Amino acid sequence: MNQNKRIVIAVVILVVIVGAVLGVDFIQRQQAASVAPEDMPPGSIPIFVDGKFVASFVPDDLSQLEGASFVDAEEGKTQEGWLLRDVLLLYVKESKLKADTQVTVSSSSREKSQTLTWAEVDAQENMVLFDLSGRGTLKLVSKIPSFDTRDDWVQDVDKIEVVQP
Amino acid sequence: MKQRYFSTFQLIMLALFSALVVVAKIALRTPLQLSGHSGIFWMAIVVVAARVVPKPGAASVIGVTSGLLASFLGLGDFGFLNTFLSYGMLGIVADLVLWLLGGNAENLVVAILVGIFGHVAKFVVKWSFGLVTGAPLGFVALGLLRAIIGYIVFGAIGGLLGWLTLKALRRAGFFAYLAEKR
Repeated sequence: MNQNKRIVIAVVILVVIVGAVLGVDFIQRQQAASVAPEDMPPGSIPIFVDGKFVASFVPDDLSQLEGASFVDAEEGKTQEGWLLRDVLLLYVKESKLKADTQVTVSSSSREKSQTLTWAEVDAQENMVLFDLSGRGTLKLVSKIPSFDTRDDWVQDVDKIEVVQP
Repeated sequence: MKQRYFSTFQLIMLALFSALVVVAKIALRTPLQLSGHSGIFWMAIVVVAARVVPKPGAASVIGVTSGLLASFLGLGDFGFLNTFLSYGMLGIVADLVLWLLGGNAENLVVAILVGIFGHVAKFVVKWSFGLVTGAPLGFVALGLLRAIIGYIVFGAIGGLLGWLTLKALRRAGFFAYLAEKR
């Protein structure tokens, strides 16, 4: 087989791989859409306040949010995205959030969660924000000393809970 | 006496390239905030290594060794296994593609394709992990497509840089020096 044929075959294989990945993602979205409630589109992050569903954080909301970023101390990478504070304020009135209100962000697939107070989330210098991972899922990161490493951060976020004290 | 597949010199070179992959991953920073941008230097190193040690399996050794190093150093956001498999698969696939395309990393198209396939293999491992562990669907619907395109483009740039490095090495007489050593 000549080199050109091999190159063409390689390109075809690449197209098939990309097509398979996108195809599986599309099927997953279709399946998720068929069972998800209308107010919880696939990929969105549901927000619960005191156990009650209030809204889903959806990509359309991003246009209303300002970006934020910081360089993490652990690996020196830029973490860039949208502040959790701004996301919450889209759906929850600021007057309802007290300094000791607990905000829990969790990932069921990773079995990880992080609970912060509203005071911590609200402080701009803490940079509690959602970074978009390579897979397109959200990762909660921050500069808070007890929550500033990859082990602590919450990858593949799928739920936000707000609990009033 | 049975001849070893890799000479001691080649194994030392492969170990150095493996370390270089990890050091580059830690030390080299690009201002690009796009998925897969590390492929620029990563795939360049793999392409160069596959020519400096021109035997099938060289890129796999680099992938697996750098994967072990990176895992023990705690690199990556998704844990030990994910880091090891993604680094390892990158090397194995780069090797496989190089072998299928005739094994000449000094050919521009081959170098670019090795870069693309190796880097996409890393993406596929990470994506498969998400699938297996039941990770949520991407928040941004087109995020996955953007990520794949990023991996392909940066893998290709890495392959191109590797090819340019090989060209520079040849001009500097590095391969003639290697041939003399043999």
